[in-house]
Amino acid sequence: MKENSLWKDAFKRLIKDKMALASLIVVIVYSLIAILASMGLIASDWAKEVGASNLPPSAEHWFGTDIFGRDVLAKVLHGTQIAMSVGLFTALIAIPIGVILGAVAGYFGGWVDDFITWLYTTFSSIPNIMLLISITMILGKGIFAVYIALGATSWVTLCRLIRGEVMKHKEREYVQAAGAIGGGHFRKLFLHILPNVTHIVIINTSLQFQFAIKSEVILSYLGLGVQGEPSWGTMIDDAKLELARGVWWQLAGATMAMFLVVLAFNLLGDALRDSLDPKLKGK
Amino acid sequence: MTSPLLSVRNLVVDFHTGEGVTRAVNNISFDIPAGKTIGIVGESGSGKSVTSLAVMGLLQKPAARIPQGEILFNGQNLLNYNDAQMRAIRGNQISMIFQEPMTSLNPVFKVGDQIAETIRIHNSVSAKEAWDRAVDLMNQVGIPNPAASAHKYPHEMSGGQKQRVMIAMAIACEPKLLICDEPTTALDVTIQKQVLDLLHGLQQKYNMSMMFITHDLGVIGDIADDVVVMYRSNVVEKNNAKEVFYTAKHPYTKGLLACRPKLGANPRRLLTVSDFMDENGVEKHVSPERVVVFDKDSEAEKSSDILLEVKNLVTQFPIKGGIFGRTVDHFKAVNDVSFTLKKGKTLGLVGESGCGKTTLGRSILRLIEPSSGSIIYNGKDITNVYAEELRLLRRKMQIIFQDPYSSLNPRMTVSEILTEPLNIHNVGNGRKERLDMAKELFEKVGLNASQLNRYPHEFSGGQRQRICIARALMLRPEFVICDESVSALDVSVQAQVLNLLLDLQQEFGLTYVFISHDLSVVNFIADEVGVMNAGKIIEMDKATNIYKNPKEEYTRALLSAIPKGLVKSDLSALV
Repeated sequence: MKENSLWKDAFKRLIKDKMALASLIVVIVYSLIAILASMGLIASDWAKEVGASNLPPSAEHWFGTDIFGRDVLAKVLHGTQIAMSVGLFTALIAIPIGVILGAVAGYFGGWVDDFITWLYTTFSSIPNIMLLISITMILGKGIFAVYIALGATSWVTLCRLIRGEVMKHKEREYVQAAGAIGGGHFRKLFLHILPNVTHIVIINTSLQFQFAIKSEVILSYLGLGVQGEPSWGTMIDDAKLELARGVWWQLAGATMAMFLVVLAFNLLGDALRDSLDPKLKGK
Repeated sequence: MTSPLLSVRNLVVDFHTGEGVTRAVNNISFDIPAGKTIGIVGESGSGKSVTSLAVMGLLQKPAARIPQGEILFNGQNLLNYNDAQMRAIRGNQISMIFQEPMTSLNPVFKVGDQIAETIRIHNSVSAKEAWDRAVDLMNQVGIPNPAASAHKYPHEMSGGQKQRVMIAMAIACEPKLLICDEPTTALDVTIQKQVLDLLHGLQQKYNMSMMFITHDLGVIGDIADDVVVMYRSNVVEKNNAKEVFYTAKHPYTKGLLACRPKLGANPRRLLTVSDFMDENGVEKHVSPERVVVFDKDSEAEKSSDILLEVKNLVTQFPIKGGIFGRTVDHFKAVNDVSFTLKKGKTLGLVGESGCGKTTLGRSILRLIEPSSGSIIYNGKDITNVYAEELRLLRRKMQIIFQDPYSSLNPRMTVSEILTEPLNIHNVGNGRKERLDMAKELFEKVGLNASQLNRYPHEFSGGQRQRICIARALMLRPEFVICDESVSALDVSVQAQVLNLLLDLQQEFGLTYVFISHDLSVVNFIADEVGVMNAGKIIEMDKATNIYKNPKEEYTRALLSAIPKGLVKSDLSALV
């Protein structure tokens, strides 16, 4: 007897797609690196001088060394931890705000909807980078400010999507049926409608994740982000002066690391959209 | 004897999916002579639509494959045509009308432009000429004030009008063959009758051939010359219409003929396909007591207790206007409705879309708030109860919705769906007991308890409606509103569900309000019938009296719209 849940079905469809599977593996590898690095098991000695200054890539130092003789690979791995944590904490801040505001706006309508719509239109009308800069100015520079700044700006898209989807679902007969058996607003919204829109959260998160990573790089490059430790952004910032002297490996290492994970998240987001869309079921 | 216009020979269609190969059409053959109408009848999934798509060359490739057979159109095998050749034929020589008029028109173009586009694809005429021809076609298909209506967008038209526009598009190039795939299934009976008459008239006028696909044998009784009956991918019967109607040979055909409720005399439970054959398709004898006509009036009054009384009920919706969206007027969806309903009885409410019958049903349950009037349930005025009292009331009053596809939450398993009402009202002791209660009712509605952990999409339409019925009955209500609960089902499945509703009524002593646009269904299931029009009940009487002597013109129109099908005296001929 088959008992396939929709999620299992979706996962099966996802891993059938070779590109999606490859992207998923890349994301998992990055996550593992980030976890191991945060536990201090790898790249903990990124600050140690391991050789001469600006050594090109070799068998001993795959990505070469930087101006202080530090291993670039270790810095890239440590940067991975920073990048993934930015993606994660941004999502942890943005998802609850976006989902709850979007769901409430879509479900109740009326002045609640008007207010929330006003709130997110206001947020989205401010240029993103300006808002990020001003938040980091208030909270002070550092990784914590980056989490807050990105979290506070990236809930808008999710909120808008959830609101529309909830509006569509609340008219469906299964929601009315939940009312007819005596269910209240909480049950209708959180037990019936939300499980039907969670796929949007997953798709959106995978796309937001790479936006957060890119934003961290930009902020750190501008000197507003991570302080006192290597991130991909600060590495690219350092490398811009070295490039004229032919030292390309620091830039290449950080850029490749970022390129790969951003691409993987983008492909994964598209594949998730295809496999989770109920309309494509049975195709 | 001239050769037929379309000749399908030994056609086989297979679908290749990840899970294997499914045969959708198994070695079928039939002919459509020029100027004749062929009805193709069968239930969902019998392969009738696949056959029509094969003729149009519209099967999804590479999933669908045709390993064998020929489709000869004017002597040419269409299966050998390439895409460009098929495009020249489609819409020009063979055209098609689909089931769902709501979604087959493009919402962002004017209907006149959409008809004109069809004309310009196949003929080199100027935009002006095409537009004039479109207006002329709209006139032919009976759209009032065609010159102005051509400027309308699809959402400004009713369902029946949209289907007329679809017909205008289909006949725009005067095709030799018109394929109609369930063109009236989504429409009310009265509109269905008009559309059928229109199609028949056009077919005569242009001397077209027509291939009419339907799940309801009764529908094509008046217009088909020949009938092809399909069952599980095979053609089981093929004959001229009269022969099929009066001397059906295959047990499945007999079942299809018998399962549609007739006006007036019906057996106590409707006959279904399973009365005529077993699961393996082997014919069996219908037991004689199954066809004995049941007279509702002879039944003794069980009780005279009044369960529900509705007095002068009005439900209105505000009409917003102006820049600031102020309420400028009110639309009375339910306008001064009063009736009483006795315990254990069924009240049928019948009327066309938009007459207010659904709003009335939801107002009684307080799913929509009534504006004035009162609802008295079991001697207690429930018009103004709130919160806890209203929640307790929900245990006694339930509703079964129309669409079995959207009324079940796709992310919940059936056992979760069925135990939810118990959780809300804290009925039953713990998970185990609630699950047992769900299992019991699940089997009572005719489903297998081993399927309780499945998700709704794994069930067919008829099975889903059974799940909806089980959910409504979980709290053991006294009163159930069935809102078009069988309208979305094939006739053969509809009969099974109607029988189930009657069985459950008897077992649990339920009181029903049964809402439908189909007077024959209401007439079969209800003790009393109220005919609704424009928010009011215009006529109300015993079910047997409504069809014998209808008083209102509107009721007579509803009655005459019902497809004739088999006449009642022929019921015994099927045994």
